[in-house]
Amino acid sequence: MASFDRNDSLGIKSGSESITRLSVLSEGSFLSESLFKSTRLILTSDEYTEVAVVYPPVYSGESCESSMGPNLQPSLATLVPRSERANTKYFLTQGTVSSIKGMGEGLSKIALETAAKENATYTDFRLVNSRNEATQVVNDNPSSEELTSLGVGVRVLYGGLGWGFADTDEMNRDGIREATLKAVALAKGAAKVGIKIQFAKEPSYVDSWLSPVAKDPFNVPMEKKYELLNDCCERMKAEGVVLRRGGFVFTSIEKYFASSEGSRIFQRMIYSGGGLVVAAKGPTGMQRRSDQQWMLKGYELIDELEFPEKAEELKKDVIALNGAIKCPEGKKDIILSADQVGLQVHESCGHPIELDRALGYEANFAGRSFLTPDKLGKLQYGSEHVNMVMDATINHGQGLGTFAYDDEGVKAQRKYAVKNGKFVGFLMSRQTAAMVGEARSNGCMRAEGYRLPIIRMTNVSLEAGDWDYDEMIEDTKDGILMVTNYGWSIDQKRYNFQFNTEKGYIIKNGSVEQMVRGPAYSGITPEFWGSCDAVGNKKSWVLWGTPNCGKGQPQQVMITGHGASPTRFRNVTVFGAQ
Amino acid sequence: MTMKSVVMEGSKLREEAHQIFDWVKSFAKGAEVEIGLGTNVNEGLRFGNNELSQSQYSRRRALSVRVVTNKRQARATTGLLEKSEVEKTVRKALEQARAGPEDADLLPMLGPQKYQPIDRYYSRTAEASAEQKAGWISHAIDMAKKNGLLASGILETNVDHYWMLNSAGLETSYKGTQGDYSLTMDADNGNQTGYALSTFVDLRELDANEVADTALERAKLNKNQGDIKPGKYDVVIDPQAWSEMLFFLIVSAAAGYTPDFGTRQYKEGRSYLSGRLGEKIMGDNISIDDDAYHPLQTGAAFDGEGYPKSKLPLIENGVLKSLASSRISAHRYPDAKPTGHELPLPNPLGEIPNNLVIRAKGSVKKSAAELVRELDSGLLITRLWYIREVEPRTKTVTGMTRDGTFLVENGEIKRPVKNVRYNQGLLDLFSKVEATSEPVTNLGRFGETTMVQPGVLARDFNVTSVSVF
Repeated sequence: MASFDRNDSLGIKSGSESITRLSVLSEGSFLSESLFKSTRLILTSDEYTEVAVVYPPVYSGESCESSMGPNLQPSLATLVPRSERANTKYFLTQGTVSSIKGMGEGLSKIALETAAKENATYTDFRLVNSRNEATQVVNDNPSSEELTSLGVGVRVLYGGLGWGFADTDEMNRDGIREATLKAVALAKGAAKVGIKIQFAKEPSYVDSWLSPVAKDPFNVPMEKKYELLNDCCERMKAEGVVLRRGGFVFTSIEKYFASSEGSRIFQRMIYSGGGLVVAAKGPTGMQRRSDQQWMLKGYELIDELEFPEKAEELKKDVIALNGAIKCPEGKKDIILSADQVGLQVHESCGHPIELDRALGYEANFAGRSFLTPDKLGKLQYGSEHVNMVMDATINHGQGLGTFAYDDEGVKAQRKYAVKNGKFVGFLMSRQTAAMVGEARSNGCMRAEGYRLPIIRMTNVSLEAGDWDYDEMIEDTKDGILMVTNYGWSIDQKRYNFQFNTEKGYIIKNGSVEQMVRGPAYSGITPEFWGSCDAVGNKKSWVLWGTPNCGKGQPQQVMITGHGASPTRFRNVTVFGAQ
Repeated sequence: MTMKSVVMEGSKLREEAHQIFDWVKSFAKGAEVEIGLGTNVNEGLRFGNNELSQSQYSRRRALSVRVVTNKRQARATTGLLEKSEVEKTVRKALEQARAGPEDADLLPMLGPQKYQPIDRYYSRTAEASAEQKAGWISHAIDMAKKNGLLASGILETNVDHYWMLNSAGLETSYKGTQGDYSLTMDADNGNQTGYALSTFVDLRELDANEVADTALERAKLNKNQGDIKPGKYDVVIDPQAWSEMLFFLIVSAAAGYTPDFGTRQYKEGRSYLSGRLGEKIMGDNISIDDDAYHPLQTGAAFDGEGYPKSKLPLIENGVLKSLASSRISAHRYPDAKPTGHELPLPNPLGEIPNNLVIRAKGSVKKSAAELVRELDSGLLITRLWYIREVEPRTKTVTGMTRDGTFLVENGEIKRPVKNVRYNQGLLDLFSKVEATSEPVTNLGRFGETTMVQPGVLARDFNVTSVSVF
């Protein structure tokens, strides 16, 4: 019988980026002690064209009598045609698994077969492998943390009447089986009291998608990241400044989705983001200025954001704010900066068009919506200048809400939510789409990690209008320009809102004049959007990222995208909060 | 050891933590190391529109490793506990630490400590079954249906285990259970609505029928809401109503939603409390402690680096008396002492008191209903929502009411009113509290904030606008 030493025979080294040489293992072979310490072994047999991920690792002192022996639990095996083997990539960048695609193929079979044996109506399986690196400097104090996780969520529909969900981080046959049986048990329990669940059709897909990345952020040396953050924090130093904070977050997510309808979808997304915050004390209290952006991009985003220059501007602003007058009160025309418009869109449109919410399923926590199904196609949400899209496709941009397939295997789509001011579309799931008579979901089910998917925003964006920004200012006789959000609050049906911003300027007869502190505005959503009369053009349109939208019980955090440009609203209630 | 044998149940967790700690030490090759090994099991039955809509079960583990080498430190956390994954995690932490700058606040790891024993684990809660939960929920749904209402909410339980070890010999652990039952009954797209919440550590504390009765009673009352004008109102705030508002006492929006009420924030000048120690900032009837040992509190007896938590009088008779502190603060500032309020290191943001106990002098009413009887004219508020900071110095926050706001006259509820927006300074609110009712626990998960908060009768609550429903 042959014995195999790890390094020589398999060409696999711990931490290697790729597997350069694969070995042959035939039945009846012993694995040597050094192999026992390996993490994941990718083995191919030229004879059998079979790829087996051997897992979990076997430790010194144990032995096996064959590659499929009792102490090795090859919980998955994927048949890879010889012709495609050269194209099969194995990633060790996360250092956890060689390919979650291969792992997903194997583990999903266990889940789907287990659920099928229990007569589940429908089952889906999501394997999610994520890596998150967060680095920050606060007043010259550094911190960095890396977080990795790998887990599976299984969702089961039983009897067409009840849903059950379970997740686990036990990546082996027993763990997956247990989680699936738990999901089935919960689904059976729900089915006892459930009503018929409708489920819109969706084709099944076998597909792979990788988000575009120019510079892998995990390959950028930590020294470089700290150098940039320290530079920014240094630039923000000034008399009166009490807080200087800069941070980056980089995330890589691999997802493998499989369903009992035959879908097998692999996706890999890389996100980058960063922000600066500076706060200063002065005669008016404490003022803050900040800047942040998050996108479905690599480190090239950080290069684009020009943080050192921003750090200087933010510092100057925050010092000036401490000497600024309070924002005047009254009814004014306001121009909101593009990032503030993005948040306005998120809160006053993105949330009320979540169909689960509009149907009442979120009533206990997130609330309901004033945009109920009976208003679809009828309600005038805003003025004719207001066009909002729900667009998860890559054509919309590399936003936080961009993907190829949602977390129940529905292809990414673009649809209008508001067209020429009229309310025309919801964010949907397969179940809620069917409930309102739609033939198809528009693919808005998203989960934090491997948790239960729920309806979330994708990229919900205000389409660019016709106005040049300078012309918009010149056209405004008596207004307030408000820049970057400080605080945001809205009622549970998304009517009454109050937004506070970080800084503002008085606009008088077409000129931007005096800076004001604590500018805030409030309104009722359809009246507010009804007062919109000018939307900035493509030159000033940016696809903003919101990294921290909360919804669900237990609460989940989701990343969403919102394209927007500076926008004007007439006769809005404004006041100075500070 | 295979993955299957890594069993995250109480008695075995210690053994597994030590095994993993031995691996971490060997991989770290002489660097100081600290591990936190935790597991959480959550089961929640979520319902909406009188149906069980999302029945969920989650079982997760996390190993967090901090390494200190050459005056630098970093942390790496993983959900994968095989030896090889642990090795990768340690390696990653070492790489990050070596690549980072020297940390001026770095101290030697904390040695063995003595801890006050606490017992927050109840097997009744840990073993609560989905069937039990479904039974309680079904009762609420039945009541809703009989009254033409729709029930929605969640009934969930959590079980947490945690073990911490470091290379200086520190060893500590925590085991706890908790749960909550949150219920809304509504109709007419939420124009008629009532809400109730119960939080518990021991399942015996949950009276599910009472939760259903409360939500129903409020929903029956809360329809055809009348108008109300903006202005100042005396209010009764239900004890479960204002968790989100109180959170802003210990969080700074001005610094980007970071912890507050800590020594480092205070000394660096970035806290709303900076310069105010010894100043009266609330009414002299108000005291706020940080007390991890209070019978209604949850969470561990130690902080993010294993230091035992001290009970702290943060506000005493309205005066800012002390701040959350840590070893780092004690090292930086000669007048500071460690109090056991550090967050997991590295932590450039500062300390936080996350076991608040809020109380007022005077007799304590049994319930918010009794406070209402003391109210000549004003509002009963059952839920405060979507609260954000407006101004940091006064801690002015804005938000909405929801799920039942009622006009009170002569100690009786007269009629429901539409939801209102307020812009209210927290320090001002706490200067105008006249009476309180029995406190409840606002649950945070392990490592988060838990508050023991009373209901209050307070004067001059600033209502600034009204919603349309």
